[in-house]
Amino acid sequence: MNYEQLVQSVIGDTASSLEKFLPELVICGTILLMLLSRLFKLTRQMIPSWLLAGAGVACAFAIAEPWKFLSAGATLERTEIFTGMLVHDAFTVYFRAVLLFTTLLFIMLARISRLADQENGPDFYTLVLGAALGMCLMAEANHLLIVFLAVEMASLPSYTLAGILKGNRQSSEASMKYAVYGAGAAGVMLYGTSLIAGITGSAHLPTIAWRLAEGMGTDYQLVLVLSGLMMLVGLAFKLSAVPFHFWCPDVFEGASAEVAGFLSVASKAAALALLVRLTIGFAVPPANEPIPFAAGEVAAPASLASEVLNQSQASRRPVAHVRSVADSVDAQNKPAEMIRVSQIRTFLSWVIGVLAAVTCTFGNLAAYGQTNIKRLLAYSTIAHAGYMMMPIAAGLAIMTENPVAASEAFAALLLYVLIYVFMNMGAFGIIAFIRNAVGGEQISDYAGLVRSSPGWVVCFSAILFSLIGLPPLAGFMGKLVIFASLVDAGMYWLLFIGGVNTAISLFYYLKVVRVMTFDPGPEDRSPPRLRLVSVPGVFTMLMTAPILLLIIQWNGLYQWAETACRTVLGN
Amino acid sequence: MTEILTSPVGLTHYLVVGAVMFVSGVVCMATKRNALGVLMGIELVLNGANLNFVAFGSNFLERNPTYQLGLDGQIISLFVIVLAAAEAAVALAIVLNFYNNHLTVDVDRADELRG
Repeated sequence: MNYEQLVQSVIGDTASSLEKFLPELVICGTILLMLLSRLFKLTRQMIPSWLLAGAGVACAFAIAEPWKFLSAGATLERTEIFTGMLVHDAFTVYFRAVLLFTTLLFIMLARISRLADQENGPDFYTLVLGAALGMCLMAEANHLLIVFLAVEMASLPSYTLAGILKGNRQSSEASMKYAVYGAGAAGVMLYGTSLIAGITGSAHLPTIAWRLAEGMGTDYQLVLVLSGLMMLVGLAFKLSAVPFHFWCPDVFEGASAEVAGFLSVASKAAALALLVRLTIGFAVPPANEPIPFAAGEVAAPASLASEVLNQSQASRRPVAHVRSVADSVDAQNKPAEMIRVSQIRTFLSWVIGVLAAVTCTFGNLAAYGQTNIKRLLAYSTIAHAGYMMMPIAAGLAIMTENPVAASEAFAALLLYVLIYVFMNMGAFGIIAFIRNAVGGEQISDYAGLVRSSPGWVVCFSAILFSLIGLPPLAGFMGKLVIFASLVDAGMYWLLFIGGVNTAISLFYYLKVVRVMTFDPGPEDRSPPRLRLVSVPGVFTMLMTAPILLLIIQWNGLYQWAETACRTVLGN
Repeated sequence: MTEILTSPVGLTHYLVVGAVMFVSGVVCMATKRNALGVLMGIELVLNGANLNFVAFGSNFLERNPTYQLGLDGQIISLFVIVLAAAEAAVALAIVLNFYNNHLTVDVDRADELRG
């Protein structure tokens, strides 16, 4: 293929890829507009930055059209865009929708609680949009370079957002700890990435899976295991899984409550999506060897494609159209490859399962001694990250025998992520509004709240009961589908640990409810009078309503999650 | 073991240098009290990985001619250089903010938030 053909095919590929990348492009455009609007006095005064940011995110959400692509009969085939760097399928659409929705909620929350004033507004919302862009890229990564770039793109604005309160000592300490730990974890992940890329000779995930299945790594098994563990170090940091969780309580306590809410939901969702992409990327090899882009790929324009494909071996099918596990190595009887593939799957399933068990146990046990409500919720976030990793381990364990059950396990994860958005944004939003009214964030500051603001206590208690997982609230449904997937996979030890942890976690959430309802209010100040009929109250009710009402009609959301996962095993 | 010391310079030598840089970066991050020293350790770690990428992507150090990382390795290392620069900029701004509040860059003095 000569140079001119290569340039033509790259141009054609970029043009066709940009159509599928449109929501992220809208976010980029909004960032540019926001940076430009703060230069001119007229635009700075006339266009509020929160309105611009919110409009941009809403526009991107509308373009992503999750209702069209995720409904029951929709078929969105898996395509690799930008020469195989990113992958566009229903899983991408689902996570884009969840992340953009979370960003919109966060922008609304920051505006209502007056976190960023007129002066800081453009900077603050630019950082939020930059983090959202990085998180969307994490959900569609198909190449090891994009994995690293997206993790960093999502993390750097988060480091800054944690320290956005400039005069606050704790905030600056929290952001420095977050930045130092995060950069270290990312560096270790990059070193592991370099070893895997070097051994398998490619950085494109399906190619790596194919070459590992063909046996390229059999001489270097120890190195592969070590580098896989190093990559998991970086991911465990983003997920706040146990050996690398120590940033989480400090950052949540030091950062403002709204930012802590955004970090606890959005960056966890993106990290879980990336974990699914990476594990499936390594463990589900395509049926035929993927053709690298420069040798002539399906993304070239039509006239060039036929000419190019006729020149290369026409019997090789490009990897872009792998649709299901039936098209991958599993369906064709290749016993030697299947042995290696199932070794990889078993290894990943065990590591993630052990990590999940230790994480949720530690998070639940450590939450008991906390007196600061944000630290308590930070340990709760750590525990929930453990619960959310369990279906990934289950899906990997069962993928070889029963691919349908594996995709149902991933669908359980997706449903729980959406429920978790409502629970945590609601909880941190309530904490932010009460902080504005009372001025403190200790649990003892919440004493006696039921006498002056009963509606708020009801909402907060509903959210806490949902975090425990009590029926008939939404959190119960999430835990039910996750535990069902564990039963399908036969991982009863993980199910037992999850059940015991749910029981353990009851008491520290109930402690907060008890302080709010039974303890007498402090005598030295008048009780805060928070009204439900106010803008913060409406936000709180908007977050609590799905938690209470989802039990009535949750099939629609589960259908979306299932459609999103149907094509994901075709990676 | 002594083959490394006597054989001509090949892939292994580059990987060893990359590994030494990575380990010294990690030790630097773990032991330095000065926040700027910790940032220097981060740069060492990222550049150790960069050296790995460049070595795997080089045509002159090939192990298996069909399956080479090729240009991907070199492009990845260019992107990582850019990203390390961006990360250093953000981390320095955060350290400056910390200094403005605490009047020190000693990381051991960052202990108000209980670990």
